[in-house]
Amino acid sequence: MKKVLIGGIGNVLLGDDGVGPYVVRLLAARYEFDDGVEVADLGTPALDLIDQISAKDAVILIDSIDTEAAAGALVLYRKSDIVRHCPAVRMDPHSPALVDTLLGADFFGVAPTDVLLVGIQAESYEAGCSLSQPVKASVDQAIAEVLRELDHLGVEYRRQEHPAEVDTWWIPEEQAESALAT
Amino acid sequence: MAKRITIDPITRIEGHLRIDVEVDNNAVSNAWASCTMWRGIEKILRGRDPRDAWLFTQRFCGVCTTVHAMASVRAVEDALKLEIPLNAQYIRNLILIAHALHDHIVHFYQLSALDWVDILQIPKADPTATAKLAESLSPWTRNSRNEFKAAQDRVNAVASSGQLGIFMNGYWGHPAMRLSPEVNLLAFTHYVQALEYQRKALQVVGILGSKTPHIQNLTVGGVANAIDLDSPSALGMAGLENIRVLLDEVVRFINEVYVVDVCAVAAMYADWFKIGSGVRNYLAVPDLPLDSAGTAYDLPGGYIMNGNIAGVHPFKTASDKEFRDGVSEDVTHAYYQGAKPLHPWVGETEPAFTGWDGEQKYSWVKAPRFKGDPMQVGPLAQVLVGYAQGHPLTRKYTDLAIGKIQTVAGIHVTPDMLHSTLGRHAARAIRAAMLAELAQKHWQLLADNIAKGDYTVHNQPVFSGSEVEGVGTHEAPRGTLSHWIVIKDEKIKNYQAVVPSTWNASPRDRAGNHGPYEASLLHTPLARPEEPLEVLRTVHSFDPCMACACHAFDPSGRQIAKVKVL
Repeated sequence: MKKVLIGGIGNVLLGDDGVGPYVVRLLAARYEFDDGVEVADLGTPALDLIDQISAKDAVILIDSIDTEAAAGALVLYRKSDIVRHCPAVRMDPHSPALVDTLLGADFFGVAPTDVLLVGIQAESYEAGCSLSQPVKASVDQAIAEVLRELDHLGVEYRRQEHPAEVDTWWIPEEQAESALAT
Repeated sequence: MAKRITIDPITRIEGHLRIDVEVDNNAVSNAWASCTMWRGIEKILRGRDPRDAWLFTQRFCGVCTTVHAMASVRAVEDALKLEIPLNAQYIRNLILIAHALHDHIVHFYQLSALDWVDILQIPKADPTATAKLAESLSPWTRNSRNEFKAAQDRVNAVASSGQLGIFMNGYWGHPAMRLSPEVNLLAFTHYVQALEYQRKALQVVGILGSKTPHIQNLTVGGVANAIDLDSPSALGMAGLENIRVLLDEVVRFINEVYVVDVCAVAAMYADWFKIGSGVRNYLAVPDLPLDSAGTAYDLPGGYIMNGNIAGVHPFKTASDKEFRDGVSEDVTHAYYQGAKPLHPWVGETEPAFTGWDGEQKYSWVKAPRFKGDPMQVGPLAQVLVGYAQGHPLTRKYTDLAIGKIQTVAGIHVTPDMLHSTLGRHAARAIRAAMLAELAQKHWQLLADNIAKGDYTVHNQPVFSGSEVEGVGTHEAPRGTLSHWIVIKDEKIKNYQAVVPSTWNASPRDRAGNHGPYEASLLHTPLARPEEPLEVLRTVHSFDPCMACACHAFDPSGRQIAKVKVL
């Protein structure tokens, strides 16, 4: 059985940066996965991300991105796209970030074979617990990309017969998503 | 002529810390520390239920999750005058200790060792000689020739491929790098091993807290762990035994590897005991409470002014009146509105961004002051405050470390030399050794209390409608953390977090006093100003963490650090 991590990355207190945790919590409420699949809200990890991705066959990460694309646009990255850039001089423990994590996992011999980053272009990183409209509108598409990757990996999943409540505790109640949505 | 150097590892989104130094005759003549991103996260908390605040504060930072959760519940408990059952204190203490051990190991090996260790020297090392050297320093069983050879082979493979990967951005071959090939290999091998032991420490946090990186077991009034000796799903004999085994391994790594390596590296760079002192006012709060009411602690607190160790002022409790009354934040040089320094309970967070101007406003970090003065916080502050009070555990491990450094360096070392860049590293290792011993003590306290039949983990909070104020403190891995809360009608009226890196990374204040990072950089000699390794050494010795992580992935390559020489 393949060991797969589906990890949402981002800060739920900083607007659209919370989209990664949001997407994985929707996934967990709507779907059941093979036993080898771990779905996790990773917050804003530093070097401990190496521990999270090590010894996995595949890693699917969902994170906000900061590019020239329109807000809500989805961009997919493979490992080679991510590690093209050299790591930063480290000033603080956050600097290791994603590039260093993947290069570090390589060096320590624990790198996953398949890596997919589902990036969602942010509109705003202002402090706050809600997603912008364009980002929210892309959430279902991001979920579809995650499922497509699972298909590609040959990992099974099915819709929950009785969808659980979505545990997006940081989002004001009136804005919370229903697990029943498409 | 003076040159200006900016070190800005920072992107628009991801960046946090920026350092600007002026260099004159190959030494730093002026310095500015700034944070390039606004948080204002505290405003999210206003109007919310104080019982939920810790869930939000735990998201301030992905590195310091548990510490913000803990300070938050303590702030509410302080406001409500709520005592905590013994089991809850011990479980919280074990989580805090395990998190700190993880953090200190990662800081020394993964985040700062490569400021002192030159990767490119490693291929020249003789693994047999390295093993012989290692065996003379420590009984660590993984100091064999084979371990060193394996680590060297990894570096050789990377070096010969021409792709340095994770190591591509170091200042390799810099003239300030001075270790022999064998010591480089020794320290690097432990860098690789450290990854395993920091993970074991984090596993303890995970067992007690249900999950990492975000623990789930806290609640205002105690913890939510069910204690049942026989149930596999609750905290029982099996869980406690797991924790004991993990802690034993981490403790051995701290004593036989981390402390030894810090002392050995310090001995070989002994001139760095004279560099990087800066602000010699130190602040630490008592932590690791031993009773329900919080009147006795395993870590002492207090403050020292102007390096006068003999004149230490102890704090009696974690929310000592002198501390509660003494803290204010100045925004003269920070991008906020406001004229005079404000106490955190009446603190404001209204932005007024102007762009970087070293004479005016230049940072998103406020300048916290204690009785009007800048304070250095962190393991060095805690060790000096404890040492000054004659705290036996602090004395034991400080004297041990000083003895080790003296033996290897062949020089006389005094506690006064700890006011330095190396002193911060040494103090962190001393603190780790103290916490390692305390981990085992608090495990035993918890096991004994449960064995007595006490399964209580929670006291119910009771709110009145009237306005109450509280402060929750924690002596976190990077120093004194305080969360300040005002509660009215069971809702949060105001919330401010004064985090350790705010104390240390603070900009100048209205009187023009430098913050600790800034002051520590003055007079630092630079061998090659365009490769300011020495600046990084001192800044890293504080273990900076700007606690405002927003981790958007930026594929354009803007994550690359800029070192700009103007």
